[in-house]
Amino acid sequence: MNQERIYKVLLGPHVSEKSAMSAEAGNQVVFRVLPSATKLEIKNAVEKLFKVDVVDVRTVNMKGKVKRNRFGLSKKPNWKKAYVSLVQGQDIDFAVAE
Amino acid sequence: MQVSVETTSGLERRLIVGVPAARVDSAVDSRLQEAAKTVKLNGFRPGKVPMKVVRQRFGQSVRMEVLGQVMNDSFYEAIQEQGLKPAGRPEIEPKSMDEGKDIEFVATFEVFPEIELLDYSSIEVKKPVSEITDADLDKMIENLRKQRASWEAVEREAATGDQVNIDFVGTKDGEEFEGGKGEGTDLELGSGRMIPGFEDGIVGMKAGEEKVVALSFPEDYHSEELKGAAVEFAITVNAVKEQALPELNDEFFKMFGVEEGGEDAFRAEVKKNMERELKNATKTRIKTQVMDGVLDVHAELQVPKALVAQEIDALRNQQMQQFGALAEKLNPADILPDDLFRENAERRVKLGLVLNELIAAEEIKADADKVRATLEEMAASYEDKEEVINYYMSQPQQLQQIEGMVIEEEVVEKLLEKAKVSEETLSYEEVMSPPAQEDEED
Repeated sequence: MNQERIYKVLLGPHVSEKSAMSAEAGNQVVFRVLPSATKLEIKNAVEKLFKVDVVDVRTVNMKGKVKRNRFGLSKKPNWKKAYVSLVQGQDIDFAVAE
Repeated sequence: MQVSVETTSGLERRLIVGVPAARVDSAVDSRLQEAAKTVKLNGFRPGKVPMKVVRQRFGQSVRMEVLGQVMNDSFYEAIQEQGLKPAGRPEIEPKSMDEGKDIEFVATFEVFPEIELLDYSSIEVKKPVSEITDADLDKMIENLRKQRASWEAVEREAATGDQVNIDFVGTKDGEEFEGGKGEGTDLELGSGRMIPGFEDGIVGMKAGEEKVVALSFPEDYHSEELKGAAVEFAITVNAVKEQALPELNDEFFKMFGVEEGGEDAFRAEVKKNMERELKNATKTRIKTQVMDGVLDVHAELQVPKALVAQEIDALRNQQMQQFGALAEKLNPADILPDDLFRENAERRVKLGLVLNELIAAEEIKADADKVRATLEEMAASYEDKEEVINYYMSQPQQLQQIEGMVIEEEVVEKLLEKAKVSEETLSYEEVMSPPAQEDEED
């Protein structure tokens, strides 16, 4: 696989109440990723960048919100969210990671 | 909490304090729990942020805050436990402050010296004894006349001590130069206001005369151009005035507030003032001697550097205030280095410490009657005495100052009882000319 994709796939951590719950219950970390990213790419990227072992990746395509502004309606772009399950006992500390 | 004390040098103490980790951790936790209820974070509804996230986000900073507080608290607990009296702020240096481990820190500070009251019988005090003679009185009245002197025009040659009114034009190589011209200027001969030779040239001239004086500017003159230049001044004398002393008559007495009684009353009034000043000067002399004596007895006493530094700052600020508006532009430490004040500051700190101890030991208090008496004495030179006294009585701050004065006097008296007192006879002037050392306020 193209090595440069590793640095492009992950857009950032997704912090929400739901992500905090899934981290608690299933040791999952939630990322916002490129809409074109595949599960395999995400797995590789997370393993390489954060030096952890990934058990499973599940993805969701999120519909962009329809916002109202002074020109009427406009649509925010669609995006992809990835729930990455880590091996028991592992964790990603975003404060330390580069 | 474990505490160990080391004496590093003289008054410096080093405290090593250990605080159990639980004390910090529980404090951090309770703080975080408090924060979790109110904190706002993107992605979470207010109050729904999980503890884990809160800890991750704020744990570090809260911990630092708590640590600072715990160190401060435990430092004061420690000194209380050890019965130390620190002077100035401690310097706290953390040794280990990792999470989960016991905390240890080192505090370095100075303590107040233990002051032992020594034997003060070795203090020698020379008590000045002097009386105001008629000659002193005459001299004082002469001075007062000079203060009120007026200038009267006379028809004679100008002499040193006279005041002349002149026009002058200065020329250099035949051309006028800047600042070398004046019209109707009053000049007192012998005052040295003009360049050397200028005033000498006028001596001997009469009103209406003209004269050209050839002079050269001094080498150290402030203007680059005129430094050492040979110039000519054309001087016209408009008037010569002589100093005229006012006569000793009722009008003159009235200026000094003596309305009735003529010369006798005036002399009595002046004498009264002189006596009061003499009394004060005598007191100051004795006080200075006593204070110097106390310092000599306690020559070995070490004073905390922190206190001296504080005193230096205070003295410097006092000095800076005299510069007025200019002071804001300057850095005080630059123009007035510490060393300028060090000796004085040390002296003051030392005296302050010893006197405080003395006051505590002898249980000296400001006696209400004595405060009143001091006030009355102070008010004596004012016209409306009652008002002055009432003013001081109604201002607690001012009153405190007076009480301080009274206490100080009591201390001096107590010390005088113990000291060797010998009398010396001095003339009025000798007492009035201040001793070399400044009067010590405390």
